[in-house]
Amino acid sequence: MVTVKINGKEITVADNTLILEAARDAGCEVPTFCYQADLMGLGSCRMCLVEIEGQKKLQPSCITPVLHGMSILTDSSTVTAARAGVLEFLLANHAMDCPVCDKAGECELQDMVYKYGPAKGAHAETKFKFHEKDYVLSPVIIKNSNRCVQCTKCVRVCREVVGVGVLGSVGRGDHQEETSFLKGLLDCDQDGNCIEVCPVGCFMRLPYRYKARQWDLKSADTVCPYCATGCRMVIEERDGVVVRARAQHGVGVNSETLCSRGRFGFDFIGNAERLTTPLVRKDGVLVPSTWEEAVAVIKENLSAFEGSRIGGVASPRLTNEELYLFQKLFREVLGSPNVDSSARWDSSGVEAFIKAAGMNEGGVSVFDCMDSDAVFIIGSQVSEENPVTDYIIRRISSGRRMNLVIASPRAMKLDSSAQTVVRHNPATEGALLKAIILTLNENKLSVSAGINAIKETKLTDCVASSGVSLEVIKRIADGLKNAESISILVGTEFLRFPEGIDGLDLLKDVCRKSLGKKLRILPLLDRCNQRGAWEMGVHPGFGTGYRAIAGRGMGTHAMLEAATRRGLDAMYVAGVDIASMYPDAGHAREALSALKFLVVQDMFLTDTTRLADVVLPSSAFAEKDGAFTNQEGRVQTIARLKNPPGKAKRDGDIIRAIGQSFERSFGPDNASLVFDEIRREAEMYKEVSLVFNNKRNIDNKLDNKEALVKASSALARGFSAWNGGAPSSEETGDYPFTLMTGNHLFHSGALSSNSASLSGLLRAAVVEISNEDADEMGVKSGSLVRVKGMTHESDMKVIVRRGSKKGVAFIAENFADTPVNRFFSRGRSGARVSITRLG
Amino acid sequence: MSEIFSKVKNEIAAVLDKYPNGRSAVMDVLRIAQEANGGHLTKEALGEIAALLDMRPVEVNAAAAFYTMYRIQKPAGRHHIWVCRNISCSLLGAEHIIAYLERALRIKTGETTADDKFTLSTAECLGSCGTAPMMQIDDDYYENLTESKIDEILAEKGLK
Amino acid sequence: MEKALLKNYGNAETHKIDVYIAGGGYVALASAMKMQSDQIIQLVKDSGLRGRGGAGFPTGLKWSFIPKDPTIPKFLCCNADEGEPGTFKDRGIIDFDPHLLIEGMIIASFAFGASKSYIYIRGEFAFGAKRLETAIKEAYQKGFLGKNILGSGFAHDMYVHRGFGAYICGEETALLESIEGWRAQPRKKPPFPALSGLYGKPTVINNVETLSCIPAIISRGAKWFSSIGPEKSPGPKIFGVSGHVKKPGLYELPMGTTIRELIFDHCGGMSSDRPLKAVIPGGVSAPMLNANDLDTKLDFDSLASKGSMLGSGAVIVMDSSTCMVKTAYIINRFFSHESCGKCTPCRDGTPWLTKVLKRLEHGEGRIGDVELLERLCSNIFGRTFCPLGDGAVMALRGFIKNFREEFQYHVDNKKCKAA
Repeated sequence: MVTVKINGKEITVADNTLILEAARDAGCEVPTFCYQADLMGLGSCRMCLVEIEGQKKLQPSCITPVLHGMSILTDSSTVTAARAGVLEFLLANHAMDCPVCDKAGECELQDMVYKYGPAKGAHAETKFKFHEKDYVLSPVIIKNSNRCVQCTKCVRVCREVVGVGVLGSVGRGDHQEETSFLKGLLDCDQDGNCIEVCPVGCFMRLPYRYKARQWDLKSADTVCPYCATGCRMVIEERDGVVVRARAQHGVGVNSETLCSRGRFGFDFIGNAERLTTPLVRKDGVLVPSTWEEAVAVIKENLSAFEGSRIGGVASPRLTNEELYLFQKLFREVLGSPNVDSSARWDSSGVEAFIKAAGMNEGGVSVFDCMDSDAVFIIGSQVSEENPVTDYIIRRISSGRRMNLVIASPRAMKLDSSAQTVVRHNPATEGALLKAIILTLNENKLSVSAGINAIKETKLTDCVASSGVSLEVIKRIADGLKNAESISILVGTEFLRFPEGIDGLDLLKDVCRKSLGKKLRILPLLDRCNQRGAWEMGVHPGFGTGYRAIAGRGMGTHAMLEAATRRGLDAMYVAGVDIASMYPDAGHAREALSALKFLVVQDMFLTDTTRLADVVLPSSAFAEKDGAFTNQEGRVQTIARLKNPPGKAKRDGDIIRAIGQSFERSFGPDNASLVFDEIRREAEMYKEVSLVFNNKRNIDNKLDNKEALVKASSALARGFSAWNGGAPSSEETGDYPFTLMTGNHLFHSGALSSNSASLSGLLRAAVVEISNEDADEMGVKSGSLVRVKGMTHESDMKVIVRRGSKKGVAFIAENFADTPVNRFFSRGRSGARVSITRLG
Repeated sequence: MSEIFSKVKNEIAAVLDKYPNGRSAVMDVLRIAQEANGGHLTKEALGEIAALLDMRPVEVNAAAAFYTMYRIQKPAGRHHIWVCRNISCSLLGAEHIIAYLERALRIKTGETTADDKFTLSTAECLGSCGTAPMMQIDDDYYENLTESKIDEILAEKGLK
Repeated sequence: MEKALLKNYGNAETHKIDVYIAGGGYVALASAMKMQSDQIIQLVKDSGLRGRGGAGFPTGLKWSFIPKDPTIPKFLCCNADEGEPGTFKDRGIIDFDPHLLIEGMIIASFAFGASKSYIYIRGEFAFGAKRLETAIKEAYQKGFLGKNILGSGFAHDMYVHRGFGAYICGEETALLESIEGWRAQPRKKPPFPALSGLYGKPTVINNVETLSCIPAIISRGAKWFSSIGPEKSPGPKIFGVSGHVKKPGLYELPMGTTIRELIFDHCGGMSSDRPLKAVIPGGVSAPMLNANDLDTKLDFDSLASKGSMLGSGAVIVMDSSTCMVKTAYIINRFFSHESCGKCTPCRDGTPWLTKVLKRLEHGEGRIGDVELLERLCSNIFGRTFCPLGDGAVMALRGFIKNFREEFQYHVDNKKCKAA
């Protein structure tokens, strides 16, 4: 610790603290343009110059560490004169087109000139102009370099945080322009973080352009509705239309960053195709109706069936409160144990995953995970499924020594941060993990029961099945052995292919019990409230807070099976497009059609709503209050910004209305009372604090641990293991590719398909293959190919991904024109396909 | 690898050997590519260099655009004339030399002659101040310039 | 005085290694390799050699900052990015005596344990770059470079890195960025290159002339060197004289030679019968002196006491026909053209100065322009990231201080007094 004087006030700070940070700690304002805590320090804008007693020159406080005994002035006349001087220089060539600038009113340059002068600039020369007209860098980014202050935060965030590095400082001196390769269109993540960090109106959102003045916007602090990273953001509306989403430095795990889905994907809210009135099927046709009529029809029909013959599926994008009410409606009102929260995952696999990932042990902070000696990411395409988690991992791993291992059949952006990259065969996470365990166990260091369970398993078989060399497996095992603390980040591949979960469960035991490691497991999930859905008990195997329940219900998979056998009469589906997302389109459609009664509540007319008897128009995240639990177990609130369109209602209100049609007392009545009930019902949620949400939280490094769910002791009998087996070996001859699915960087599920901005980035399905395969086939990105499986075939463009495993093909799961689930059968999200070049 | 690059393969391999990483060779490789391409860099060349050196295309772009002697997407004449115009040369008549060259070549500074033979540029000090005024044509210095000396040099370089 | 640095200047043969060896070359290297590395550093310290690139930092002291740990790779970078207007001394050594530089570099590398060195030569010096590359090849062939140099077990590799038109690369950390393939913008200091330089490794950056002094210091001893010129900045020095003198060119003279001696004894006086109006004593960053300052000694401390600096030893002489506004404009244009763009005051301040000076020169002066120039100077000076912006200001302030009335005349009369 060192003690320094700042403006005469003594303050003690840690060694190597920057003068800027010490001054801000002491409550002294120091303006900056180029400084940003997470980015490499530059010291170039010169706004932060301060006076240090005994030094002739002013010093840049953002790159100068404090020394014991320093006496620093942040507001002497020399300092304030220098600030005004810097601002006068910045204004010299500045466009000064504030009246038509989207940044006006929230422009840091405006604010600083307002605050620090000069009252009048003396520049009366011809201004240098980079260009006459603003130029488009992508469908979502437009640029006006004449407003640039050359802080280069855009370039640094792009390289250091996002990891794509498509922006650079081109040119020299006052001709230096932060732009793309030859000012061409950007081939990048399109996340707009360059826009977010821009202090002026240089990088701008194209969809927001000329849409509103900042001071006319009404805003709400909320959480991104896409993946489960749980990025905090602010959404803003004008005249009832949400026009912008942005992140704030120092708020949330994400701080100022968002991904393309988060920053640009909110426009599904204002999509004209939103459902605005209830529909009831009459004479085979869905016709507009009133809420009273719709609810009455539901009540009448559901009353006719036995509870066990009714099933419910609710979206992991609903709030905790809504999900809690949903399962309560089924379990307590309709008397049905059949609830699930996914059309994609098998509920038994989910249960095994929750156990293996130790989710009942409470929340796990991603920042704590990144504090480990070894970080092992497996079964997750994290760069695309959880882009901001990718940023966090990149940023932290570049700043400290750690052993980062990434195992995935597909190459990903984060690979460049890893010490070891593993390309295993699709769906062989289990074999890979067992190979690692067997290698770790070479010296028979373990006697745990788990090891015994696989003692008959041969290392050579696991190695062969995973397609990874023994040398690489040894390297990973050594890395784990040499680490004191280990974090394993596990993704949705384990849910698509649950046969890998026992390997994960075993590795956890081996690391903890046999090797005595400090081990954390962080699930990486792709829906904003997937964890919340499970913890609210929207699952056939356990209740709220993973509490044991009497009698197991059916999950989605079993419901569909039962429906086709006439073993299920009715379903109530809230926000899930089963027909498009269940891995077997034909089967899903057939099962849903076989139901006697189907209620679907959604924002849009989907393939599933088209089969419904009653359609209920529901709400977007911006239209309701409540809380999401992110993948770490961080409970964060969302806030209502606007009302749903037309007669559409909040999902919670719809569930409540249906419940009350059976029991007048069904409730509680509002989100906050429901949350109180959740606290009572689920021990994990009892102590969770929502207080720190949206507060700037720099002190504990964006890591608000009070919001993490606690461990649950309610689990009396433990989770069941996965009840499926590994699939029998599939035919490979005519179908040389293994087709995988998941989220695309720009798309995940139905929300993104209804976003004009995201569809503008990518509209139609593409199939991604490795460069090796592409070279063999003689195709390039953009070539047209035919993808043929045993049940379906489709033509689409190809995208070549350098470094992916040979023989792996990928199609994202959400494209309406090419529903990838048509390639799949009976719930398994993988298939063999052939790919042939067309033309 | 494009035709131009395969022509200078050995030269590029030699400069790559000088450094512990590809990025450090970017200036040499840009220079070699520019020379092989007749005095300017194309978009394709920049992209190819990026792939060769494991850099992002915009980084190659930014590296090249920082230095005055790289010409990005601007074809140059067969001979590139750089006339020094900073203080020592100016004291001894650089402006006059520039004006004379503009008349002789019938172009303005920054332009290329219609026959693509000469490009005329000015430079801020070429480090030949004791022999001012001076100019550089391609790799060679021409010093203590006079009008008649310029006539001779241009004739030798093929000015008609 | 027997020449140590320019003894081969103008000789058409001395760039060849055999000719250089026949003239006593590489003897100093052989002697140095028999010394302890600490001894060499001490010898250079004792000689009082100060860096010839401009800053005048004691060379031996700079070398002594390099960590002694033999397991850490270390680098030597020779700054041959000679670009300050008026300066052409290093080119004189490179073109005619490349082995002198190479010998000095090998000795320096041996002294502090550098395994690799790069000569950063400005792109325009294509001739010099080729000379150096050939000379390095010759040195390898003779066993002066490569593995086990002269049987000592010391290994060293030397490379030429060509710049391509950016004055800022003469700033030592910008030079490192440039070698590493980034845009050549200066790095923050600390860490200083002696601890974290090229590729993050300990690095010494020395000027061509500095390194070329080393063989003579080894051969003739520290005493010989320190006895030349003033006690605090001793040694032979190359002065590059340009402008309105009869015999412009390079002159190797003792440090502390007066401006008057240099111009009138060595350069044959003024080129015409017009009287001397002003002298820039050390490259364009050095504030100018006027006709009353001709007895000022050309060494680090004497010039500093006159408010100017020795800089690169580039002496630019102007006679009475010279317009001070135009000259200030030309010099300032150089700085704004070469500003790297990193920090605000230099990036946006120097072009502003240039625009005002250009107007003044073109008869479009406005009332208050001189005061505006002064105010802008104060807003740049001391607030930039590296010394380039300060250099621009020092130069302009020198002009205004000495010839304010000429600037005012341009404002008042829209034309020049001198012409």
